[in-house]
Amino acid sequence: MSMSQEKLESFRRAFPPSRGVEEIPGQDIPTFQVERELLPELARRLKDDPDFDFKMLSDVCGVDWPERQARFDVVYHLYSLTHNHRLRLKVPVSEQDAVVPSVYGVWRAADWFEREVFDMFGVRFSGHPNLKRILCHPSFQGHALRKDYDPGQRWLLREGEQDEPSWAREVQEDEDHFETQVLNLGPSHPATHGTLRTVVRLDGEVITRAECEIGYLHRCFEKMSERHTWNQIIPYTDRLNYCSAMMNGVGYALAVEKLLGVEAPPRAQVIRVILSELSRIMDHIVCIGANLNDVGAMTPFLYVYQAREEIYSLLEACAGGRLTISYVRVGGLANDVPEGFEEAVRYLLRRIPPLVDDMERLITENRIFRQRTEGIGKLSAAEAVDWGWTGPCLRASGVPYDVRKTNPYLGYETYDFKVPIATTGDTYARYLVRVEEIRQSLKIVEQALKRLAPGPIITDNHHVALPPKEKVYTEMEALIWHFKLIMEGMKVPKGEVYGFTEGANGELGFYTISDGGGSPYRLHCRPPCFAVFQAYPHMLEGHMIADSIAILGSLNIIAGELDR
Amino acid sequence: MRNTDVVVCDPKPLRFWQRFYLVEVLKGLGVTLRHFLGNLFGRKYTVTVEWPEVKREYSDRLRGRHVLLTREDGSPRCVACYMCETACPADCIHIEAEEDPTSTVEWEKRPKVFNIDLLRCVFCGLCVDACPKEAIIMTRHHEMAFTGREEAVATIDTLLQKGPIDRIDLGYRPYYGRESRPITLPIPVRVEPAPKAPRPDLAATP
Amino acid sequence: MSEASVGKPMLPVAGKPPAGPRVSDGSNIFLTTKLDRLIDQARKNSLWPFPFGTACCAIEFMSTIMSHYDMSRFGAEVVRFSPRQSDLLIVAGTVTDKMAPVMVRIWEQMAEPKYVISMGACACTGGFYRAYHVVQGIDEFIPVDVYVPGCPPTPEALLQGLLRLQEMIAAGETHYQRMVAAARAKAKGAVS
Repeated sequence: MSMSQEKLESFRRAFPPSRGVEEIPGQDIPTFQVERELLPELARRLKDDPDFDFKMLSDVCGVDWPERQARFDVVYHLYSLTHNHRLRLKVPVSEQDAVVPSVYGVWRAADWFEREVFDMFGVRFSGHPNLKRILCHPSFQGHALRKDYDPGQRWLLREGEQDEPSWAREVQEDEDHFETQVLNLGPSHPATHGTLRTVVRLDGEVITRAECEIGYLHRCFEKMSERHTWNQIIPYTDRLNYCSAMMNGVGYALAVEKLLGVEAPPRAQVIRVILSELSRIMDHIVCIGANLNDVGAMTPFLYVYQAREEIYSLLEACAGGRLTISYVRVGGLANDVPEGFEEAVRYLLRRIPPLVDDMERLITENRIFRQRTEGIGKLSAAEAVDWGWTGPCLRASGVPYDVRKTNPYLGYETYDFKVPIATTGDTYARYLVRVEEIRQSLKIVEQALKRLAPGPIITDNHHVALPPKEKVYTEMEALIWHFKLIMEGMKVPKGEVYGFTEGANGELGFYTISDGGGSPYRLHCRPPCFAVFQAYPHMLEGHMIADSIAILGSLNIIAGELDR
Repeated sequence: MRNTDVVVCDPKPLRFWQRFYLVEVLKGLGVTLRHFLGNLFGRKYTVTVEWPEVKREYSDRLRGRHVLLTREDGSPRCVACYMCETACPADCIHIEAEEDPTSTVEWEKRPKVFNIDLLRCVFCGLCVDACPKEAIIMTRHHEMAFTGREEAVATIDTLLQKGPIDRIDLGYRPYYGRESRPITLPIPVRVEPAPKAPRPDLAATP
Repeated sequence: MSEASVGKPMLPVAGKPPAGPRVSDGSNIFLTTKLDRLIDQARKNSLWPFPFGTACCAIEFMSTIMSHYDMSRFGAEVVRFSPRQSDLLIVAGTVTDKMAPVMVRIWEQMAEPKYVISMGACACTGGFYRAYHVVQGIDEFIPVDVYVPGCPPTPEALLQGLLRLQEMIAAGETHYQRMVAAARAKAKGAVS
């Protein structure tokens, strides 16, 4: 996963310390601190040089160090699909002169990520085409993720102060004297899943320009996580991608476990795999069902939702909650699964395929559906990578990138499953890929079920996991550990880690920085939706207004994850 | 990545009969009809839970409203150690301690005020995990609509266990050395006894 | 952490949060009480919800209208995404400061009589997001008839909230009905 030695050497040769590139040793992935003047050249070289071939910018985020001279770090995470290696770049800037050259010209994925850093930290990006607030509303004052910002300080938005694209007021007339029309889709629109807003300019029914506005569900996950202990964050992660809550918890726990150097016991890992894959199925069911619903096919959703309801039932039996389960703990799981778990999963394995078959029979070969979706919302592989796409959307464009294969975790390398891809990259392909992923996930669950052996479900490291209850009630030492863990939170060693897993929508990353305290110094979530959705306005151009709904549904934008 | 790990699922070209709308539409109609007739005669596909007359068998771990357990003499088990208040991510628990006058030991605390704002609560169960005395646990009582925010603050009087423990509809609680009810699928349901008070209707209103 | 401080440089709310539904002064209402009751019966059994679903609760709302729980058994299956066609606003999910003007506008656009169910911890109080961008309870902006706790509430909990609202409508206890009653009493007092 990290760069090979000779590649690193050639990088060091090309950018020696004399040019302002300083290596930070001892990190999970090779990390270099870069002077901001060098950034454009460095970025261009890293992308175009076949030795490095960092075609994908997976994440940009900021970190605030108030006591430092250069107060902010802008952190870039790069990924190369061909070499399967990663690189982290840090660009320090001071508060007075917080300007960094934008890398939007190199990777288009930087578009929204840079806007987010600007919104949250006030770091400006010179050369960015549309640098304005993205998550917070326009009347917001200050920058929320700075350490000196009071987390409870709210600013109210007045009616009429909402943001509008600069071009929304321009009225254009073409030769036929047809006025172009500006239309506002969302945020409260049945097909925008509640909280997405797209402003489109129409020529007749054809979209000529579009701009998205997000942040309608910005729930301050990252600020909240700085205020809570490591285990208290688990309920918050559940609410990121609420369609598949389990996988967020697993991703977060894996990142923290990496930092701690502990591993969940085998039984917990297998249960995590089973429930994660069932969550993936649930997520795809909602995505496909909602997409079909939006384009006018109501019935399949009603059928496949039964599978979801039964998976809910299973989750409720394990964790006690249906949707937001808070079942994962750092180091393992909260409880062991109840008796009858295996039979219940086997029942699901029998139950889900017929329902998916029913849906396929209704839809897959249906000419109406195919005409609505084929050739709609096409994105080529190169473009998709450039936009930072991951997950089913990227695979539908023909790039077989799946974290479970490239950087296996939880023992995914030992499971026999295939990565579904399609080459057309349109809405229909995304539907097909998701359907096939449901089947592959079922295969994984089936194999995992065979490996489910009795054993502990949480690590016995008393610095990490709460001691078992019967010990707390009887033994003094256990009670003291229990007390310390609740009152202070676990102490995670100083350091930083980028933990990434394959969420339902793609690479779900948690960039975690610990200062050795009971709560994270900084926890940044790299939401797969965020990268996917920023390409959406550009995909719309030239399409009909009705197609925008079909495309949006196929991208599976989950607002909780998008806005955090 | 090896090529064997990849399965290509590109769209297949439509076959001759699929080009006609009608065939596929009829096929789809067949699926719907199968479900419809299965519901009508066999009730094979009926999934609707006729709530509130019929209820789902909830899991033994369902996280509903909290209950404060009592000791055998009826005093609360809670010793006001503030663990649940600290563990709560929503800060919805408010405890004020006082000295227990009935205690035989010196400096035994008990809660004077124990409030849970049920509208703030996110029912994550961290308070149950945090409690060192098994004093706070959760019931399966989760249907509790309120009409005001003040009404939703549960005080110690309403939270304290009433009656013997086997009369409480126990939900999420520590699971050491005892098993919860095994899970069964398809979703089990049970018929509720008829509600005591009839629902208010036109005749009942003055 | 302290209570979210909505203190210092806070700006006034969009168009001033309304104190309650706007109603006519009541002078043109001539229906007899019994007929009113009948109408309330009709209204309570044919609530058309507007699902203002923003977050996790929207998924549970989806479960509620799906075949397992089937809200249509209570006469509330006609989910309308147009405020003009619905009389029950179900706010399901977190409402942020950015979203609040949208919600207020939708509520204002709804034709009377209108009722509001606040579903889930976030909509009721802000839940565990005591944060800089989250509304600490939608009753800061609009009057709420029924609060359904849970994060998210189970479908049964939402259905129970719906039944509670139906009882309230039958008993004339909703915000709207109390406003009408108050306006009527005032008009009566003015006449006599």
